[in-house]
Amino acid sequence: MTEQNYNPEKGYIALLGWSLNAIEAADKFDRRYVVVAPDWAEAYCTEHDIPYVPWNFERLNDRSVEIAHILQDKGVDVAIPLFEETVEWAGAINSVLMGNPRLFGQAMLLRDKALMKRRAQLGGIRVGIFEEAHDRDDVIRFLKRVNQTLLKLDGDPNDPIHLKAFDKAGCLGHRVIRTPDEVDTIPEEEFPVLMESHLDGWEFAVEAWVHNGKIRFLNISEYVTLGYSVFVPATPDLEKYRAQITAEIEKLIKTFDIEFGFVHPEYFVTSDGTMYFGEVAYRPPGFKVFELLERAYGFNAYQGMILAFDPKTTEEEIAAFFPKEVVDAKGYAGCFGVYPRRRVVSRLEIPEETENHEYFESHELTPPVEETVTKRTAFGTHWGLIYFFGEDPYVMRDLLKHQEELDFYV
Amino acid sequence: MSENQPASQAPVVNFDKLVQKLDESIVAMEESRPFAKAGKLPKLFDIARRVLLQPEGCQAIEARAQRLEEAGVFEGTDWADPATLVPSLTTYSLQSQNADTVVIEAFSELRLLLVARGSYLHPSVSAEQAHHYLTQVLAINLGLLFGMTGEAEREQGKLALISQSLVQYVASHIGYEHVIDSLIEEIWRILEQRPIRVSDVRRMITQIAICRADPDADLGSAGRGADRLISSLYGPTRACSEDPGTAVYQQRLETMDSAALQNEATGFARSMHDTGLVSPYHACFVRFILEGQDSLLSEALGLSSTGRDCLLCYRDLVRTLIDGSIFPETAQGLYGLALLLERGILYQPPVAPALWRQARLNLCPEARERIQFAYGYQPQPAAWLMQGVMNMLGQPLGVGQGNNPTCQSARALSMWAYNDPDYLLQMVAWAARDNEIVMHFEGQPVSSARSAGGVASEVTLDLDPVSLVVVPHLDRIYAEMGRLCVGREGDPHRWVNPEFHGWSAGRGFAINVDVATGNLTDLEGFIRHFYASYHPYYNGSQPLIHPQPAGIAVTDSAARFIGWHAITILRVTLDPEGEMRVYFFNPNNDSGQNWGDGVQVSTSGCGERFGESSLPFEMFTSRLYIFHYDPLERGEPAEVSEDELRRVTEGVYRSWGEDRVPADALQAEPPRID
Repeated sequence: MTEQNYNPEKGYIALLGWSLNAIEAADKFDRRYVVVAPDWAEAYCTEHDIPYVPWNFERLNDRSVEIAHILQDKGVDVAIPLFEETVEWAGAINSVLMGNPRLFGQAMLLRDKALMKRRAQLGGIRVGIFEEAHDRDDVIRFLKRVNQTLLKLDGDPNDPIHLKAFDKAGCLGHRVIRTPDEVDTIPEEEFPVLMESHLDGWEFAVEAWVHNGKIRFLNISEYVTLGYSVFVPATPDLEKYRAQITAEIEKLIKTFDIEFGFVHPEYFVTSDGTMYFGEVAYRPPGFKVFELLERAYGFNAYQGMILAFDPKTTEEEIAAFFPKEVVDAKGYAGCFGVYPRRRVVSRLEIPEETENHEYFESHELTPPVEETVTKRTAFGTHWGLIYFFGEDPYVMRDLLKHQEELDFYV
Repeated sequence: MSENQPASQAPVVNFDKLVQKLDESIVAMEESRPFAKAGKLPKLFDIARRVLLQPEGCQAIEARAQRLEEAGVFEGTDWADPATLVPSLTTYSLQSQNADTVVIEAFSELRLLLVARGSYLHPSVSAEQAHHYLTQVLAINLGLLFGMTGEAEREQGKLALISQSLVQYVASHIGYEHVIDSLIEEIWRILEQRPIRVSDVRRMITQIAICRADPDADLGSAGRGADRLISSLYGPTRACSEDPGTAVYQQRLETMDSAALQNEATGFARSMHDTGLVSPYHACFVRFILEGQDSLLSEALGLSSTGRDCLLCYRDLVRTLIDGSIFPETAQGLYGLALLLERGILYQPPVAPALWRQARLNLCPEARERIQFAYGYQPQPAAWLMQGVMNMLGQPLGVGQGNNPTCQSARALSMWAYNDPDYLLQMVAWAARDNEIVMHFEGQPVSSARSAGGVASEVTLDLDPVSLVVVPHLDRIYAEMGRLCVGREGDPHRWVNPEFHGWSAGRGFAINVDVATGNLTDLEGFIRHFYASYHPYYNGSQPLIHPQPAGIAVTDSAARFIGWHAITILRVTLDPEGEMRVYFFNPNNDSGQNWGDGVQVSTSGCGERFGESSLPFEMFTSRLYIFHYDPLERGEPAEVSEDELRRVTEGVYRSWGEDRVPADALQAEPPRID
């Protein structure tokens, strides 16, 4: 049951999508809120007295504007997207609520990886070589061309290229292609896709809370291995680029005309310190980075999002909310996504060295439902996360890396 | 007395940090909105599980039990209303393979302990109620309390450590005195089966003795029945009744006249045969009289005329056996020796020479090491092994498999000790001296040294000395024979059992489970055939000649299938009440099991000899899934009455056969044998 005491002077927000952590954060905060989620959530919301409006985000038709009017009639000030699939809904709703049609165009830009890169290029942001592919021939052509550009001779190992779905979150549908043979393994239904040249650099992610066109908190998340592990704050090796990274994000929010909210871009930094833009999302990151931030800094990242989106948030309020980056962190929080290494597994068994490690916090792994492990075709789709927390970023990094060599399902 | 526990403790972890994490997750739970609490539970339960695995774990949880309950860990579960909890159900949750179930049960017991101790005023349970409930929980889980483990704990793995330490923690605070009476009953029940390995029983008796000696423990009228048990270990005769220590007792012996020595001898013998336990003083006494007064030996062993005869014929051998292997630590060997003499097996020509070989056997380093690991350095490993040999030959039905999935090997040892003692001695010599046993499978030699792993990944140390040395070899051979059958259609025991156990195991093989599907097959034919082979009314009153291996589908007290288990059918005959019973040997450490649906295995009171289990013929048949027979003696399927047949088949369908009806589309797990 909600025990919330909200402040009527502040904004009324709508959460788009179902996330218990986000709902709990909102319930404990001082803004009035409503959850917009599919109708399967209704029973739970009624039972626990959670303010709720049913909406089916998959159905797009000429009645879609209704949700904006429903929320407008309730007096909602702003909609906050919780998932990739609700980003354009938030843009559309907010353009109605705030009387600002450009917000919808901005959301569409943030939803399409190819458009997003074009826009970034126009803003003078460095991106890798990229192209859309509509079939397998496009992929082979791009792979050849990229490698010709790199002055590779026949027989030299190719530089890989990356394929990503246009509009999916994070690692979903992300593939690495090295040879033309591998192209045949891409299922027809994944096209069209975005192709990118491989950047030999250090990939990292940023979470930035933006209010009144200014960055209010900027976190750098260090990937140990993409798709497996991440921790916050980053090691000093990466944090030394903070000033440069901040300048890049400022360029980004200017280019995309972002006045408020939350951005989650990914970058590469090459050995000479050049930053390459990968992509940007306008929603909370995957891999439970919000939970890691709360563990490391003690502030609730969802509440930070609510502040950043709420037009009624004051300067003092938001300045007081966020801690000082890196120095205020109590330690380093990381997580590792477990994927079974064996083809046939019968039970979950956390390795003793992991379980008894001082940094080990907890895990969300569940016993296997099936004995046969499906082959891993793309990044992502781990079976659950393991959480760590400790004082030394390098111990954390090596510990996360080491988990890749362990069996959690035997 | 040496108390031997398999060593399996978790490596060192930083307990303070762990408890800090526990506190943080409790705070997260407390601060959580009710609608989000469920999401906080997995983390809390996992950390609590790790805390409970530590030595101080129960204490840490108990200290937080009230907060845990108020934070809502029990909400939405049966544990939320402790007044309605049923003590007998704790056995299932404590033996569960689901970590969360074990943890929530631990939370609940520790909360009630806090209530019972008056530190937590619970809204729905009084301190007296909580105390009463916990007492019942302890009495029901005595096995856990004293580290006696069975099939269920084996399946449970490391979680069993939590259940054990929980029960022990609760007992240490509730007081053992409240469970002592049921404990004493339990000890007598176990002793009536005359197990070879009595260290668990010794531990329990010692625990009772400690409680009784503790002036703070108010035993009331409880524990009176323990006198005979305690005295059998710590003071069976007049001269040692106050447990003076062996050194003092030795001095007293030196000053005794012959009448006093005579009294001591009969006192020891009476106590030993009464309980099956041997006091260390008994060993001192026997060693003492061996010097010049060995006419008292027959009295001290409590021998009948048969035993005395045997002793007189093989006097030198017996003296050598005692001299080399009977010490206060290995006193239990005296009971084995007495029964060995009573069985008269020394009159079988190869047995005495084989025992002479055993007495002079050089042990290989591997065998030495295993014995030292399990029993310590005093006396020599060879003495321990000799003690084990005497016990196994004297008590062939006292063999137990320990906490190992090696019922096949334990059964084979028992069968040989019972039926073919010199063959057993040969196996012991090969394993202990050469560290290799070679058996033959359909003409092909199978060596334990050259076979890959056995059924058990590691054979634990909670075994008698003979099993400790021989079982690892047998287990590997058994598994290797199984591997040689890979690719053959049907159950591998058809070929493995006769080759493994020896010529006397019937070559004919009947099974009522289809290996490929796990479904029942031709149940009626199987039952008729079993009646025709084993039931005296249907087989021409032919008593069973050689003990025969058989397979049982073990079920728990709710008649749910647990697993396949190897037993030996020893004899089929009328019990004192005139009911036809199957008497069998179960290598499981405690055979008095409740298999559910009214099938309660009896171990005494129905005409059983020491170590035998028994069931009425029909009930036994309802749990049987494999038996052997002599194909040349196979008669016609018995004309079993429809009524009797129906009762047996219904017994199968109500228990382990429930999901195995062939029409069922669901495929059951393929059979697997321990």
